[in-house]
Amino acid sequence: MTAPTRHIRIRQALLSAAVLCLCGPASAMESPGGTASSKSTLEDLLKVQKTVQDMLPQVKPAIINIQLRGGTASGVIVSSDGLIMTAAHVSEEPGKDLRIYLADGKMVWAVSLGLDKTTDAALAKMKDQSHPWPFVPILRDTAQVVAGQWCVALGHPGGLDRKRGLVLRVGKVVKQTANSLQSDCVLMGGDSGGPLLNLRGEVIGIHSQIWQARDQNMHVSMAPFLRSWDQLKGSQVIKVWGTGSGGYLGAATELDAQGKVAVLEVISGSPAEKGGLKVGDLIVAVNGAQMADQDKFAEAIRSRAAGDLITLKIQRSTALRTLEVKLGTRPKEDES
Amino acid sequence: MQPRTLLLLAVTASLAQAEIDPRGPLPETYRTNGSATLSAVDALKASVLRSTATLVDEKGGHLIATTWVSDDGYFLAPASAIVKPEKGKLRLPEGRSFPFKVVHRAADLDLLLGKVPDLPKTQPVNWTTSRALNMGQWLCTSKGGGQELRIGVISALRRQIPGMGAALGIRMDEDQSGKRKGVKIMGVAADSPAESAGLQTNDVILSLAGKSVARFQEVHEIVSKRQPGEEIAVLYRRNDKDESCTVRLASRTKVLSNWDGEDFANGGISIRTDNFPEILQHDIPLGPEDMGSPLLDLNGRAVGINISRVDRVTTFALPMETFWTKVQQWMAEDRKPPQPVVVEEVKKAVRIVPQPVKSTK
Repeated sequence: MTAPTRHIRIRQALLSAAVLCLCGPASAMESPGGTASSKSTLEDLLKVQKTVQDMLPQVKPAIINIQLRGGTASGVIVSSDGLIMTAAHVSEEPGKDLRIYLADGKMVWAVSLGLDKTTDAALAKMKDQSHPWPFVPILRDTAQVVAGQWCVALGHPGGLDRKRGLVLRVGKVVKQTANSLQSDCVLMGGDSGGPLLNLRGEVIGIHSQIWQARDQNMHVSMAPFLRSWDQLKGSQVIKVWGTGSGGYLGAATELDAQGKVAVLEVISGSPAEKGGLKVGDLIVAVNGAQMADQDKFAEAIRSRAAGDLITLKIQRSTALRTLEVKLGTRPKEDES
Repeated sequence: MQPRTLLLLAVTASLAQAEIDPRGPLPETYRTNGSATLSAVDALKASVLRSTATLVDEKGGHLIATTWVSDDGYFLAPASAIVKPEKGKLRLPEGRSFPFKVVHRAADLDLLLGKVPDLPKTQPVNWTTSRALNMGQWLCTSKGGGQELRIGVISALRRQIPGMGAALGIRMDEDQSGKRKGVKIMGVAADSPAESAGLQTNDVILSLAGKSVARFQEVHEIVSKRQPGEEIAVLYRRNDKDESCTVRLASRTKVLSNWDGEDFANGGISIRTDNFPEILQHDIPLGPEDMGSPLLDLNGRAVGINISRVDRVTTFALPMETFWTKVQQWMAEDRKPPQPVVVEEVKKAVRIVPQPVKSTK
């Protein structure tokens, strides 16, 4: 029997209520009603099946189960020297010993490296460097991923189950944002950190979180990994704060599943708090300039000097609001 | 003529591509179980839908799906989903409902074989071996009372699922003195049978199935003798008032692993999720109400029966090898219950005799 394991709680709880509201507008994008060329045929499905079945034995040895105190998750080996991709909410901090179960049931040790808390990307590394590790290549050109392409999710939902083995899901990419992918490969607790692969067997995403609906499965895309590869390998913790040499706001943001810049945290006593910014607000524009992603937002804050008055256009639940915020200087203790 | 057709096709194709933004969101039509993708299995739809029906309760509420297994009205359904078969009816996709009789209940497989006497002709599924299935193989099944098809793949190894018995989903006071009256509930599991029945922390269980209880072991003993799906009467005390309710027991494995609602986004799960001799696991998006439907390959041949919705990513189906020989026996026994030997059968037996004679030299 499997012990009553407490699975890694995918970061879904806070988001589930919001999802119900956000689901609605999606259907407004209703499709053109398929032309003959866009409908799938039996041959299309069988081609997918053949590709997936040929790929499975090759990628399987590189998919791992990660055991943590009170939790279980997944990961994928992406280099012959045993570099592992997983989710930041799995490893939580650099330098942590991770108990790894390989596809053949063998237990080995890895250590967590850096992580990016705003995108949920994280790296770890096998301790044993005496032999090459089986690995799955990653897709470096993230622009190749398009909505509608077939993809494969692998992982250990619910934890390690030797009789069951690895669990496969075949589905399609639903959406791509700056740092994430959404697919209809259904995930659950324990899948966190496992890979989403394209049909060439390359890693295109890392399982991160779910929302209530079955086609709301979120994966970290390769973009945040590739952008911060050296920092992640160097065991750094990345947080994209709206700060910099210039103005300081004191709010952390993340890109939500709808591709909007959402406020994740507001530092107590910061200009953001004084200006009335709240957790969950969506940043629409800064001084009239639309904020499509976090980088743009961070840059908009950094490029202004302390003392500047900025106009933030935000969305709070359904209402649009305008906030006036006077940027401050970055607090000393935040420097390291 | 030909070039014009080609040109037209080319334009249509590029238009279709332009309609899907490469960054998404992908319109639902084109998702894995959207209508454009499902058109690959459109040819199967009519026959799959004819071989399924819906078991409804006395108010016409959908309980579970069923699969026809003969042309004279025999069908299969998950037994644990049907508490009061005598009050249920079988509803055809076109809307008419018929009473049925229970021919056999197999607790080990969680299967109920039923028969609708008033139907002249039913269309059974065609079985094929499930032994040839490998991970990644496409399968399809019916959903929504046989109105639609859904596709998915074999998603894990076929295997036996051991049983852990039934559970209420409560943590109990471990006071073993037996001096106090009843057993106090210290915690209730999310989505558990106890929660569904309205039991709460601090309620004191006075009796279960008519037997009074004073220690938590006594509760264990009564519950562990029962199967998931069975109902049990609970008398309890809340705020100095005696109250009662009926709890429908569920599989213990699931109650334990979902204690804090870890698997909250599952869309509902089955009462029984374990204790199967062998299962096929697949990733077709179904609900517990879709169990009982046939699991088919893309040639429309049935390889099993969907038996349990386990969690957000898992559905179990019984492979046909686990039940088909037995089901044929049960049907044969039901059609011809043991009775005095009929003359015609004796004649048939006589005809076979010449064969061994021929073979002797």
